[in-house]
Amino acid sequence: MRRLELVLTRLAWLVPTLIGLAALVFAISHVIPTDPAAIVAGENATAEQIAVVRKKLGLDQPLLIQLLSYFRDLATGDMGTSIYTQRPISEELASRLPATLELTIAAVLLATIMGIPLGVLSALRRNSLLDHSMRVLTVSGLAIPSFWLAMELQYLFAMTFGVAPLNGRIDGFGPETITGMMTIDSLLTGDWESLGSVLRHLALPSLTLALPAAATIARFTRAGVLEVINSNYVLYERAMGLPASLITWKYVLRNALISTVTQIGLIFGVLLSGAVVVEAVFDWPGLGAFAVISIIQSDHKAVMGFTIWAGAIFVLVNLIVDVIHTLIDPRSVR
Amino acid sequence: MMPLSATRRALLAFAAFALVAPGAAHAADRFVYANNSNYDTLDPHTVFDTARVATRLNFYDGLYRWADNPPRLIPWLAKSHTVSEDGLVWTFKLRDDVKFHDGTPMTAEDVVYSMERMLALGLGASVLFKPMMEPGTTKAVDTHTVSFRLKEPSAIFGSLVPDIYVVNSKLLKKQEKDGDWAQPWMTRNVAGTGSFKLKRYDPAVGFIGERFKEHFAGWGPKSLDEIEFRTVLETNTRVLGMIKGDYHGTDGYLAPDQIERLRQSPNVKILEEESMRVFHFAIHNDRPPMNDVHFRKALAYAFDYDGYIRDIMKGSVVRNPTIIPNNMWGAPKDLKGYTFDLEKAKAELAKVKGPIRPLTIGTLAGFSETEQAASLFQSTLRQIGIEVKIESAPWPTVSSRMRNREQQYDMVPYWKSTYYADPNNWLGELYGSRYIGGGNVSYYKNPEADKRIEAALVSTDQEERKRLNEEAARIVFDEAAGVWIYNTKWFGPYSTKVEGIRFSPIGNGQDMRWAYFK
Repeated sequence: MRRLELVLTRLAWLVPTLIGLAALVFAISHVIPTDPAAIVAGENATAEQIAVVRKKLGLDQPLLIQLLSYFRDLATGDMGTSIYTQRPISEELASRLPATLELTIAAVLLATIMGIPLGVLSALRRNSLLDHSMRVLTVSGLAIPSFWLAMELQYLFAMTFGVAPLNGRIDGFGPETITGMMTIDSLLTGDWESLGSVLRHLALPSLTLALPAAATIARFTRAGVLEVINSNYVLYERAMGLPASLITWKYVLRNALISTVTQIGLIFGVLLSGAVVVEAVFDWPGLGAFAVISIIQSDHKAVMGFTIWAGAIFVLVNLIVDVIHTLIDPRSVR
Repeated sequence: MMPLSATRRALLAFAAFALVAPGAAHAADRFVYANNSNYDTLDPHTVFDTARVATRLNFYDGLYRWADNPPRLIPWLAKSHTVSEDGLVWTFKLRDDVKFHDGTPMTAEDVVYSMERMLALGLGASVLFKPMMEPGTTKAVDTHTVSFRLKEPSAIFGSLVPDIYVVNSKLLKKQEKDGDWAQPWMTRNVAGTGSFKLKRYDPAVGFIGERFKEHFAGWGPKSLDEIEFRTVLETNTRVLGMIKGDYHGTDGYLAPDQIERLRQSPNVKILEEESMRVFHFAIHNDRPPMNDVHFRKALAYAFDYDGYIRDIMKGSVVRNPTIIPNNMWGAPKDLKGYTFDLEKAKAELAKVKGPIRPLTIGTLAGFSETEQAASLFQSTLRQIGIEVKIESAPWPTVSSRMRNREQQYDMVPYWKSTYYADPNNWLGELYGSRYIGGGNVSYYKNPEADKRIEAALVSTDQEERKRLNEEAARIVFDEAAGVWIYNTKWFGPYSTKVEGIRFSPIGNGQDMRWAYFK
């Protein structure tokens, strides 16, 4: 019951949170002295022509009316229409979600595969050269700006060694769209050439996102393992003569990963709501790239749509992480 | 241990597949262009910027077409035209062998529908036609003759007809909903007669066009089968992609240091052409102290033109002393321009009547030339006692602020591109008072200049038009209404495998029907 209460409380807070978020972004968008009507009307448009466009877009209304009208539409599931593409914003977001989802899953998988073993090894060899090296690497992983890392990886793997593509999601336009996730679509259609192209294109952006994420995972795993490794039950298992690898990778890791799982969930949420910089550098046609273009073009409704999406993802991922936390450690629900 | 082994195997397989497998090449003869702007719509009647010109030039045709440099009009969908004696009615004879991509023959009705649609939507190139035309005044005289009745005689109408992109009226009428002129449908579909048919489109990625074999202009033996225009926003990525050979072309207005990088690559050749794109500082002429001609002259004498062109632009451009490009008729050839002379600047400053205050220069984020010009100006103006604050913002923000009299910065360095090859494109639109709030972001108004600009707009005598434009340009020059720096050179980066690029300042080398692979 406590768990259900937690879920319901969080969900109840979701609506006011998103309303507040949308209102805040709306206010910030309008502080910037940009006139979307002037941008849509074009560089050569006269003041009268801009005024006609402004009226057509409803931007001539008082701000409060615009905001209330936006909320009214939002209540019916209508996020509005992009003033540039003339498509519903919900469609724009949905069409870009698979690209971001694919990148996020790849990055989180890579980060987990790299981060957990590094964290465990670091804890097992505490204060050794390996541990110190790991510490340097993890701090670097967190400190290096992602745009710099992205460009360095481009120089190294795409330009110097020529083993990875520079940017984009696939050569050309990719396989027939089924799920929108190209790895899955190319598998479903048996298009192996596309699959190879997709995986090669996925390598550098996912690595760029994975490295700092792996650093976080490694640090939390290390701390978790250190906390558990001196427990009485581990001492008992050692005394029972269980193999060291079995103790470490099964019994210690299971209990040490509680906080790591929380972090992985949070990383997933952050990346899913748009890896803005990395998507821009690699021309990854996902939510982050959409957000960048919408902000630059002052497409206010698109920016608000993206923010609401990102906010909802973040709240929901947090909720899921908390629920998983209670499942792993039932004491936390009390 | 099994799960770990499986993971390790999967990781190794992923790495091997991702990093070692050979790349899936683009179609052998597909031309790939990396564009610095996104293709968020394919509708030729709602956008009019140079960044997305490729969709209009390759999917659609206009009545005439701009080609080559200096740009000249060549007959295209129309074979010829006549103008009535009063200069109000322009009648065009259309070709009778033109088909839309779906096989429907193009007729005068399609031209009428296209013009009405453009005027009704009020976007894109309609900003040029609206002042001179009313809806309902375009008529189909017969199947292959169309006439346009203007509100007043216009000397520039002929220069604008390439922008009347003709759409398939029968197809669009089927897609219309509630009188929307099929605007939502047209954002993602093509209904033209152009050289290429739409094959794939994703607003987040770009588009692929395939050769329209039945195009009336015919094809050469090596003409391109497919073109792909991709959005690549990062300049560094576009440059690296050219060097790597991923792209066959990209924008020709990169900063000099990027052009130098490209020159080092064996995969890239740089095509050079003198363009018609004047880099200048727009000055807010209607705000103190810039409303004082002496203050503006002080500004004009305080910019280090030679230093900027030599050191920052690496000598890659030529000085342009007025707002009309040097290579355009109507530019006063004898004017040498203001020179960098701080003593003269101080002398002019001493004549300023009102108080002098710090200035704000708005620059275009990501366009280093504007930021460097502003920094240079900041340092020289400080030497004559004028403080400058620089604010950088993306072009859409700067552009919309410029068109608001109160929000406009004191000065903005930017380029005026070519939309049509006529002095009015620069002089009239930037300094004619009829364009205030539109192209005239200097809020400059001078009755003497206006008189000549207006007369040049209606005169049909070319020599008279030349004289009027020259005189107006001199007035604007004498009043130092702006700081005019250079005329851009176009450095088109293309793959060494590509030939046949025909540059025109209006198309920026993105009209692909003449290109081919060696």
